[in-house]
Parts: sequence; structure tokens; C-alpha cells
Amino acid sequence: MDLIRDVLDKQLVDPEERRMGKVDGLILELEEGQPPRLVEIEQGAATLARRLHPRLARWVEALGARIYGEAPGGPARIPWSKVRDVGIDVEVDQDFEKSRLYFWQEWLCEKLIRRIPGAG
Amino acid sequence: MKKAQEIVLGVVTSIGGFLEIGSLSTAVQAGAAFRFQLVWAVLLGTLCLIFLVEMAGRFAAVSKHTVTDALRERFGFNFFSFVFLGVTLVDLLVLGAEIGGVSLALQLLTGIALRWWALPVGFAVWLLLWKGSFGMIEKGASLLGLVTLCLVVGAVLLHPPWRQVAAGALPSLPQGESAHYWFLAVSILGASISPYLFFFYSAGAIEDRWDESYLGTNRAVSGLGMSFGALIALSALVLAAGVFGPRGITQLDSYDQIALLLTPVLGRWGFWLFAASLGIACFGAALEIALEIAYRAAQGFGWNWGEDLKPAEDSGFASVYTLALVVGVLLVVVGLDPLKLTVFSMALTAATLPLSVVPFLVLMNDERYMGEHRNGRLSNAVVLFIVALSFVLAVVSIPLELLGGS
Amino acid sequence: MAKGTEVRVELLLGRRVRDRQGRPVGRIEEVRAEPKGKEVRVTEYLVGRSAMLERLSVQAFLLTFPRLLGWGKKSGGYRVPWDQLDLADPDRPRLLCDVGELEGLEEG
Repeated sequence: MDLIRDVLDKQLVDPEERRMGKVDGLILELEEGQPPRLVEIEQGAATLARRLHPRLARWVEALGARIYGEAPGGPARIPWSKVRDVGIDVEVDQDFEKSRLYFWQEWLCEKLIRRIPGAG
Repeated sequence: MKKAQEIVLGVVTSIGGFLEIGSLSTAVQAGAAFRFQLVWAVLLGTLCLIFLVEMAGRFAAVSKHTVTDALRERFGFNFFSFVFLGVTLVDLLVLGAEIGGVSLALQLLTGIALRWWALPVGFAVWLLLWKGSFGMIEKGASLLGLVTLCLVVGAVLLHPPWRQVAAGALPSLPQGESAHYWFLAVSILGASISPYLFFFYSAGAIEDRWDESYLGTNRAVSGLGMSFGALIALSALVLAAGVFGPRGITQLDSYDQIALLLTPVLGRWGFWLFAASLGIACFGAALEIALEIAYRAAQGFGWNWGEDLKPAEDSGFASVYTLALVVGVLLVVVGLDPLKLTVFSMALTAATLPLSVVPFLVLMNDERYMGEHRNGRLSNAVVLFIVALSFVLAVVSIPLELLGGS
Repeated sequence: MAKGTEVRVELLLGRRVRDRQGRPVGRIEEVRAEPKGKEVRVTEYLVGRSAMLERLSVQAFLLTFPRLLGWGKKSGGYRVPWDQLDLADPDRPRLLCDVGELEGLEEG
């Protein structure tokens, strides 16, 4: 499995094929004497920002904290053990409702979208 | 039988959706300033567009990805964000120009200054996106856009010297005003080959759930649709050459002048038809561009997306098109002249074409996405040539035009 | 509760790898991993000899596009087994063995 070509930046979907954002980052854990282990998928604006520039990441994190505080349980990280399949999309065993994207979209929905009539 | 229906519908919506303020104003300016000499630019631009649109449809049908999805997946987020920024910035300028176009049409019809129309127009576009479905928008706006065929009728009734028109199909050097000639050529190329057109087409193919069985349909729609659409732009050029040329008007400075494009041939009706054509065509384009910016953001970041979803289900997507429209409206409200904004953004489009087209070509040659339906040498060569040409011309002519004054 | 240090794959992409003498070897182009039981572990790193990468920054991309369109071959590089790359400082990966000991990447 080529991590960069086949996993990074791929679309994440839940067991019901609902889009959950993309694989924005991948975390390896280094252990003494052992090959590095792939532990988690990471998502989020800060992760993306860090790929462009570390200072940008700090700015994004600060902005996020100021706007909606800590994301409660909405994990920016998904354990690799939850990955079911890596193909055109990366299928994970986690419902869309528990994802970071869902949290962010709901927040946006409450603050902005629902205030406008006809949002459905 | 169903595929034939789809082809007809696809072609008709392509024709109706082809013209917008970019192709219209660049064609009119070209016709007024250089008569039929720039016909080749329209033809060349359309040829490139046909190839690109066919590719966009083929890409979506075969890989089941939109181009934007694949851009990030294949090239990584860093490269994607660079392309995203560049293309979106130009898109926002064009969006402003289209909103300006609708406002201009309303100004012609009512006499009320276009700056006042920007907000209502932007709101109308937004409302349709908020409440409407993809099918309704794509088909509705484009069918209404068929009113632009009045330009073809007008051009024919004008009895232009057809041989001279045909001669314009071959590039020729201008007698004078070279900088302006090449600048207009570049603007025409940018107006014809707008990236938003083929990005939108690929998103549409996914929304309509195309698969490999649609490849023939795709070729028919892109080839016929864009060709007939180009006829409309050419008609505008021919009309401008016939109407403005003899009067010695080589520079179109006021809107009232342009509005007279059809009146010599169609009388009072010509005025109304022109205003209606302009308004409807630009409205359709504004819808497409706003949607397309939202598609790009949503697909790039992996959000839910789809015009058929309610805004509450895809809040990111809805927020982006809302924001885009706000910017577009602001550009007009602030007082930017829609015609100048148009021509400039078209030239800028031509200059930034390589940014979107080159990665797209790479995708079209990638076996993992396209399998056996990869591009052939011809497609690659034609598109690369035209895009490179546009880029070079743009880089040379834009500064000259800016320095020389327009 | 991390046992060891964390390294981000997306930040490894494009990092210049130097040998023990500090000379540049190439840039990390790919991280290969295999499942081992329930876990997935890195097996090797693909390090490109030149700066030509398939997905990276704009300049590299513009330089490589003729190659990407299928004209011309990939330039060579190396396969670095997981235990020959020191990632103690992830921003500055260091080769632990000699370059000559590495297996080359196939051409084309």
C-alpha cells in the first residue's frame, strides 16, 4: 500500500457511503526497533494548513478555538483500526455523525444556514 | 431512444448556455474594431473548448470522479490549493461580470442604473440555488438561453459579405492597433475556453450519473452543443462588424451603443431581444459559476455536495456559493464597469488557463482514472497547443493593453 | 497515550533525505506499508534521486509535466528499508546506511 498515492487525500466514507471529508493527514508512531506503525487518519483545517505552512496551522487552530471552542469528541483523528477498505475511497467504520466534518457542518448549519428560511 | 433524447437536451442546453457576457462583449468589440478579422479566434477557442468539454464528460463518466476530486487526490492538497486559489479568484471576477451583465440588461430595459440592480440580481441567483434542484437549474436556465438565437437570426438578416466572414477564419495580421488586436484575440480565447465551463460539465455529468455508456452521448453533446453555441458568438461578431463598422465606431464605450446591435435589423424588437438575451444568458452563467465555485470547494475538501440536497444537508457547499455571490455583487455595487471587468477577466482567464488545463490533461492520461479511455496524442496536442498559445499571447498582450490604455 | 514519537506522513512527502555525511540523497516520494496482522507497518521509503516528484509543489510540477504526460521516463531513485531511515528529526530524515547499499528504483 502506497500511503501517499493510495491513502492520503482520498475521500473518506462511512459504512453508508456518506462523504466524511478527505484523508488530510496520516499519523505514524515510531517505536524502538520496530517498523513505524500507521496509527491514525487525521482530518481538519489545521492539518491541511500545516501542509502549507506550520505558522498557518497555528493561526487556524487559534481561530478554531476562538470560534467554536474545543470540538467535543468530534475526533480530528480516526484510528486506523477502523479502516475497512482502501479503494477509490477509504471506507471507515465510523458514522458520519461522529466525524469532525459533521460537527463542523452542523455548527455552520446552526449558526448560519438555519437562520435563513427555506433551508429545509 | 432515451440516449437520443439526452443528446438533444444536452445540445440544446449547451447552445442556450454558451453565450454570456464574456463571449458576447469580446465578440462585439472584435467585430466593431476589426470586422471579420478575429473570426479565427472564436473558432480556435471553440475547438479547444470542444476537446476540453468532451474530456471533462469522459473523465466523469469513466472514473466516476469529478475533475476537482481527482485534482486533489492525484496531486495532493498543496498543489490543489494553489490551483483552487488561482482559478477561484478569476472565477469571482467573472461572476461579478455576469451579475453586471444581468444588471446591465435591466438597466437597458428600465433605465435604472445597473449598480442598483446588482443586489436584487444576486439575490435572485442565490434564491434559485437555495431552493432549486440541479436539473431545474441546468435545464431551465439553458432553455431560456435559447433566446440568444435571435443574434443568429439578426446576423443572417444582415446579409453580411459571407466570403469575407469566411476569410476571417484564417488568422491575419491587423493593419494597425496590433496590441489591441492581440488583446482582443486573447480575450476571445479566454471567453471561449472558460475553465468553469468544463469543470461544471464534469460535475453535471456526475450529478446526472453518467457512466461509460454515455461516451457517445458525451461526444455528441460536446461537439454539437459547443459548435452551435459558437455560432451565436460568431453572429454577435458579424452583427457588430455590420452595424458598427460602417458607422466608424471602432470602440464601444457606452452600453447604449451595444444595445443597438440588433435594432438596424430587427427594429424596436431588436432592442428588447438583445436586452433579454443579455440578461438571461448572464443569469444562467452566474448560476453556473456560483455553483461551480461551491463544487470546487466541496469536492476539494470532501464535503457533502449536490444541488439536489437541501442547504441544511450540505451547509459548507451552500455557504460557499452564498459567499461567492456576495463577492460578485460587491464587485458591481462598488462601481466596477461590467464591460471593462469582463474583458479584463477574460484575458486573465486565458493567462491562467495552463493552471487548470495542464493538470487536467495529466489526469486524462492517467491510466488509473481513465483506463483504456485515456487521451490520444491528438487530443493532448491540440489542447496543449491552444492553451500554450493563449498563455503566450496573454502574457504579451495584457501588459501592452494596460500600458496603451483600452 | 503515545508510546513513541509521532510522525506525519503528509509532512514527510518531499523532505530531503541526507546521508551520514550530510550530502543530499533525494526527496521522499512515497511511504510503503504492509499489513502485519492487525497492524499496518511501514516497509520502505521511496526516495527520488532528483527533485522530480509526481505530486508536490508547483515548480516541481511544471518541470515534470512533459514526463507526466507520458513522454520520457522516470528518473531513478532508491528504495530505503524502514530501518535505514532515521526519523528522530522528521524534518531532516537521515540515511543510516550507505547510498551504495540501497536498491535502486526501476526506470520507466
